[in-house]
This record gives sequence, structure tokens and C-alpha cells, in this order.
Amino acid sequence: MQKAIRIGVLVLVIGFLVTLVIFNAINPASPDKDTWNAKMSKGDKNSATHHFVMYTDIFCPYCDKFSDAVAANLEDFEQHYIKDKKILFEIRVTDVNYVNGHSNNSKPAGISAYCAAREGNFWDYYYALLKKIYNDYHSKGIGVDKTAPRIPDLEKSYFYDFVSEINGLDYDKMKTCIENEETLSELDTNTRKAQSKINGGVPHFVFDKYVADGFAGNWNTNYDYKQVKLLMDAGLASK
Amino acid sequence: MAIRKIAETAFDRLKFACASTGLIVKRPKAVLLFLLSLLVFLYFLTFFRDGSSNWQLIWSGLAFDQKLEVMGRIFPAIAENFCSFYGATIILLSLIQALIIVHLAFAWRHRERDAVLNSASTSGVGAIFGFIALGCPSCGIGLLTPLLSAIAGGAAVALAEGLGYVFTALAFVLLIYSFVKLGYTNYVTIQAAKQK
Repeated sequence: MQKAIRIGVLVLVIGFLVTLVIFNAINPASPDKDTWNAKMSKGDKNSATHHFVMYTDIFCPYCDKFSDAVAANLEDFEQHYIKDKKILFEIRVTDVNYVNGHSNNSKPAGISAYCAAREGNFWDYYYALLKKIYNDYHSKGIGVDKTAPRIPDLEKSYFYDFVSEINGLDYDKMKTCIENEETLSELDTNTRKAQSKINGGVPHFVFDKYVADGFAGNWNTNYDYKQVKLLMDAGLASK
Repeated sequence: MAIRKIAETAFDRLKFACASTGLIVKRPKAVLLFLLSLLVFLYFLTFFRDGSSNWQLIWSGLAFDQKLEVMGRIFPAIAENFCSFYGATIILLSLIQALIIVHLAFAWRHRERDAVLNSASTSGVGAIFGFIALGCPSCGIGLLTPLLSAIAGGAAVALAEGLGYVFTALAFVLLIYSFVKLGYTNYVTIQAAKQK
């Protein structure tokens, strides 16, 4: 009797795991052609033959590893992938970690990303903010995984006190936009849209027919960039 | 009183299990099996430590040599486990699994088939719980989250975080239980063999 129960439990657990694997494997890829915010994309939309979308949250460490690696190798990424392979690369910023109660910082970070896009320089702002978060927290082992100490709740000023160093961004306009949460509705709308497309977590990558979740990196931008290239090649091979 | 007695018995059995481990791993074959098992468990737990991204790369349209590269990149990642608490959890899980394998092999050779089957099923469930608990549920990246999102929708990530910790605890409890039970059986076998 005890043996039967054991075998039953084992079969149930293995069945659960197999279902999990199958669910992941058959998860339908549904790349939509349009960009959600044109200023958060790179590449020529008209001539692009590939569409690579990254769903992200600025306070998701796995997303940040990917973006930090790209930022450190931006020239190569833009030349060999965006231009040569005619890729439209789009980042869809969400605050899913705020919505799910994991990080209060995700909301102001998301708002500030849309503010930067509205002011005309999303990309420089995005990479500068990630660098700041890395220097202040991730490089010290804070907020890097589920067992690491959490990043404390940050003041809104954290997200605009450095913008005067970024070309094309006006400090006062960014400050007003972030303090008044002027882009909150766009962030909310895009987060809701994203939640219906991702499996629950970020980073979620949709590259033509290739869909991937998570990013296996270690904060070493050279090591992580090799993983980025594997991901890009997997996406290119899917079409 | 009853709880105290159970705890004392469990502690005694743990001591006997550790003692039998010391006796078994003196043999070169057991050491080899232990190291091999440790490497295999470390490899697979590390492969899935950041969710299913490596798995998805293996099943993608990448060229064969690139897939080999994906598999090879796990080895430096194994070394990284020594640098974080999360990595230490993976190492500890792998260590207990490897010890159980060594004990399983010993018990099988000494015809303790029932003990082997019972412990194998318990430690098997523990190992699966260990795999499920991997990932970063805070980010929604884990093996558990995608399935939960199909059942629980937007609440999946919050659920996955809580369940991830539950599964980790369950994995440790089941694996330690298997280790103690099997180790104690092997201790009795060793002592009986000595008396003969």
C-alpha cells in the first residue's frame, strides 16, 4: 500500500514536470509586427526582415544582464545584428515586478523610461540608468537574485538626478515628467498588454518564431554577450 | 515527550548515516561514483538555475557547434555557484543527491532492494522539487512560473515565489530523509557484515 502511494506520488510529480516541459515547448510564438513605442526600438522598421522584442522590467536583474552586455558591446550589436541582419529591435518596458509586489522601484523606473522616450532619448537614458543601478547595487551583490538582499525603495529623484549628463534630455522636463508620473498610463497599458503575452515573467524574448524566457548571465559583459549572440542566432535561425 | 523521543531517534539515525557514509566513501569506486553524481547534479541544476533559457537554446535552430557551446558554458557557471547563497543551495542539493546515489549503489549491491526502491522514489521526488524550485520567481523566471501562469494567470509570479520556497524546503526535507533512512540501513548492513 505504502509502495503504491509512493509510486503514485512519483508518477504525479513526474507528470507535472513533463507537462511543464511540454507547456514550455508548445508555447505559441506570436510576434506582432508593430512597435508599441517607436522610440524604444532600434533599426529601420521599413527594411527590417526580423522583429526582435524584449519584454523587460528595469528592476529585473536577468533583464539587466542582457541589456548591460548589449550596452558594453553596442557597436558590434548594432553593426552585426541590427544593420547587417536587418533586425528591428524593440524593448517593451513594463513594471511587472511592481504589479506582482516584488519591487516598488519598477514603477518609477518604468515611468522614467517612457518619459525619456517622450523627450527623445530613450536608449542613452536606459543604458545610463542600468549602469547606475549596476554601480549602486548589482555590483555589490544587492538585488542580483532571489536570495540576495533587496534593493531599497528609491526616491523619484534617483531616476532623474543624472539626466543632465545625457544628450538630448532636459533635466527640468524629465523631473516634471517623473515627479508627476505623466507617462503612468502608457506604462500601465503596456504592462497589461505584456502580461497577456509573456508567461508571467521577464525577460521574455520574442524573435520572429523563437520565444525564450530568462537569461543565463553572470554580470561579466564579455561572457554575457556570448549568450546574447547565441540568443540572437537562435532567433535568426527560427525564420 | 514523544516528539523529543522521535527527535532523538532521528538524530541518532543521522549520526549512524554519517558514520556509514564515512565508511562507504573510503572505497575508490564510491568516491568516483560520488564525484560523478555530484558533477551530473551540479550540471543539471546549474543548467536550469536561471529558468529555461538554456533549454530553449538547445531546442532552437542553432547550429550543432553552438548547441555544444551552450552546454559548455555551464561549466564556468558551476564555479560561480560558490559565490552566492543561491549557488550554495544548488551545491548543497547536489551534494546530498550525490551522497544518496552512493548509498543507493551500496544498498543495491548488498541486496537491500526494498530500501533502495523506497529511498529512490523519495529522493526522486525531492530531486524534482529541487529542479522546480530553481529560477528567479521574483522576475517570474523559473520552471514553475509558466505552468502556474496557465492556471493562475497574473497571480502566477506571486504564487511561484511562495511555492518556490516551499519546493526548496520540501526538496531538502525529502533528500535528508532519504539520506538518513538509507544511511542507517547501510550502517546496519555494515555492522552485520563485521559481526559475521
